[in-house]
Amino acid sequence: MSSSLVRDVKQVARGWRWTHRQLPPRSAEPHHVFPEAREFPTDWARSRVAVAAREAILRGGLTPLVRHETTLRVEGLDVLDDLDGPVIFVANHSSHLDTALLLTTLPPEWLRRVAVGAAADYFFDAWWRAVGSALVFATFPIERGGVGLSETPTKLLAQGWSLVMFPEGTRSPDGWTRRFRLGAAYLAAQAGVPVVPVALRGSFAAMPRGRGWPKPGRPPVHVRYGRPLRLQPGEEPRALGGRIASALGTLLDEDRTDWYAAQLRAAGGGTPASSGPDVARWRRVWESSAGPAPVRRRPRAWR
Amino acid sequence: MPRPGFVLEVDERTPPLLVHSGESFRLQDFPLGSRVIYPPESLPGVPDVDEAIEQALLHPLDSEPLPSLLRAGMRLTIAFDDLSLPLPPMRKPDIRQRVIEHVLEHAARAGVDDVQIIAANALHRRMTPDELKAIVGERVFRSFFPDNLVNFDAEDRANLAHLGMTEENEDVEISKRAAESDLLVYVNVNLVAMDGGWKSTAIGLASYNSLRHHHNSHTMVHSRSFMDRHKSQLHSSAWRMGRVLSGHVKVFQIETTLNNDAFPSQYGFLTKREWEWSMRDQATFLGAKRGIDLMPAKARRKLFQSMEAPYLVTGISAGAVEPVHDATLERVHRQQLVDVDGQSDVLVLGLPYLCPYNVNSVMNPILAACLGLGYFFNMYVGQPLVRKGGAIILNHPVPWEFSTLHHPSYVDFFDEVLSVSTDPKVIEQKFEEQYATDPWYIHLYRTSYAYHGVHPFYMWYWCAHALDHVGDVIWVGGDRRAVARMGMRSASSFADALEMASDTVGRSPSITYLHSPPHVLARVNGSHS
Repeated sequence: MSSSLVRDVKQVARGWRWTHRQLPPRSAEPHHVFPEAREFPTDWARSRVAVAAREAILRGGLTPLVRHETTLRVEGLDVLDDLDGPVIFVANHSSHLDTALLLTTLPPEWLRRVAVGAAADYFFDAWWRAVGSALVFATFPIERGGVGLSETPTKLLAQGWSLVMFPEGTRSPDGWTRRFRLGAAYLAAQAGVPVVPVALRGSFAAMPRGRGWPKPGRPPVHVRYGRPLRLQPGEEPRALGGRIASALGTLLDEDRTDWYAAQLRAAGGGTPASSGPDVARWRRVWESSAGPAPVRRRPRAWR
Repeated sequence: MPRPGFVLEVDERTPPLLVHSGESFRLQDFPLGSRVIYPPESLPGVPDVDEAIEQALLHPLDSEPLPSLLRAGMRLTIAFDDLSLPLPPMRKPDIRQRVIEHVLEHAARAGVDDVQIIAANALHRRMTPDELKAIVGERVFRSFFPDNLVNFDAEDRANLAHLGMTEENEDVEISKRAAESDLLVYVNVNLVAMDGGWKSTAIGLASYNSLRHHHNSHTMVHSRSFMDRHKSQLHSSAWRMGRVLSGHVKVFQIETTLNNDAFPSQYGFLTKREWEWSMRDQATFLGAKRGIDLMPAKARRKLFQSMEAPYLVTGISAGAVEPVHDATLERVHRQQLVDVDGQSDVLVLGLPYLCPYNVNSVMNPILAACLGLGYFFNMYVGQPLVRKGGAIILNHPVPWEFSTLHHPSYVDFFDEVLSVSTDPKVIEQKFEEQYATDPWYIHLYRTSYAYHGVHPFYMWYWCAHALDHVGDVIWVGGDRRAVARMGMRSASSFADALEMASDTVGRSPSITYLHSPPHVLARVNGSHS
């Protein structure tokens, strides 16, 4: 009897999916209706208790861990000094490390009031993943399947929460940026908040898709905050979206070279495309996986 | 919006699929590339059943409205389908009750006193008073039982009327009361495409003398299929008889169609596609299966037999028999039809606990064979799902078990007839008349709750087309002795059954699994896949 029970359980388990995301057989796909997504409630993750717990986890656990596992360089945080209201941090995205890099480098007063937009179909399809990411990273779900924008980000901005958004929608498969979607620009235009571009370099080389932990050897990763961008009078959100993409490109260029050289190239329209060279995929991956050049030791004044 | 049915091709993403097997069910892995035919999802019911009935009665097809056919002093007979329909029985109120009540309200308004209500059970067993009440409802039962709410008695010679012969020399002999009425109203429940039309009156109210013309092995082999009226000799014969009948009595046909809600909501997983099962469905399946398997046989049967389907009514048509039936078929097809490309080498069927002839009873081996090879095999239009000479794999325990109350002649048929021959034609010539005229069986049919003595022969004839068509019939999990008595083979698992079928269809056969119930009618076109 017990063996037949085990057999039955095993058979039922074959149809079980931990993610709760239905996977119809291929020939059934045209006849499959995916259940209407219900927005996972994340208000609790922004409560006073959850914020305190998150700060403890990030400051006490994740920050030392990130600094132990990577060689972190943070630049441009001073841009936040002149800002006091909510902003939208917009960053390029190539690794699961990106959110951790952003959150662990933000000053505490910003960290306490920031929420991260995360793909609903990935982070919110299983309750345990949704709860974990909402608690540790203050995530809220974003539908990336072309469905209408949720009201949550607007509501959060109105409540004074800053947002972190990755306008590429998903992690880059080769380390270079993909096409930027316009959601963040529309949101900034609608809520009247500035956009702070953040360039992340080295996270692809340190922990690309498929890795769950940074590569050994403390790979270098750079986080560079740029000057805030605001919607100009008469400017369309689409144009703001273009400016955000350009600013990020310049910021990446600046991180690769120096501020003034990047400005010169930007003024002359010569900023290298952040989407990378149009060459074979392996060459793109090859270049990205090299990561930023290691920080040179400062010359010793005294030998 | 309900989704249409479709043909699944099993791939590595496909979870094990539900297969019925008598009073149980299980999950079964199918080889990659197997085809699985899923029925369309349930259509919505009509928003207001009473309104739909009234509309049908007041605006019938090719007929005057019912009220204008009713008058004081007339003889009105209302006949209705017996408990063999629908399956499982419908959650109360049964649609027949609702329709009969509407008809009677019109009759009362017209002052009709002479009303008789007859269950059109032909050679099926009589229904008990409780079974009659479950179908017609308490009001009708209290008003008419026992004198004017009766089971049809096909052996009551004094109450049969011979109306003549068809052009094919077939006797048309039906209930005298129905034949001599001023108006015969027939209330039908159309579960599958085979039901309804002239089959209702010309078969449901007929005697053995009439039924033998189409319920025989030759007609059955040439009914391809029973679900395709225009290619069914059974139906052609019934239609010929209907034309004779219509020369004697005015028939006002009321046909109703149901959707695919065959199981109560707590067994929702039985009608869901397996990859869409929620955690709750999976838990319910496990709990139900374990519970059922551990139950004593008696309790298990009681549980299954007490199941009532929450069917919704998808439409009601009334009026002249043929246009009404055309409208019915259109609705049945909308609910059940699925297009399938070509035949396969092997057809797999999971047989549930119930067929038309074991409501509140036992499904004996002959009924199991009839359900699989008679009904499920014939759920096609065009050509059979399995190629000529292919194999059928049936899932059912086929217990060597009979109800001596309901199926006394089956016991003797199984012991005496099938042990001599399993060839429908031989059986028909050698034994049919003896069983059909046996006074003891006739006595039990008329006074107890027994199916007519000839009924097991008809069940075997229903299998004739499949037996003629396929090369191999294998039962998974079937009682070996019972299966062997029927001239078939038994396998302990699906894998073994495929192994055994390899003699007939080779080692890499194409496989089609008809995922039913609920009902699905395959429109098979093209050539062998």
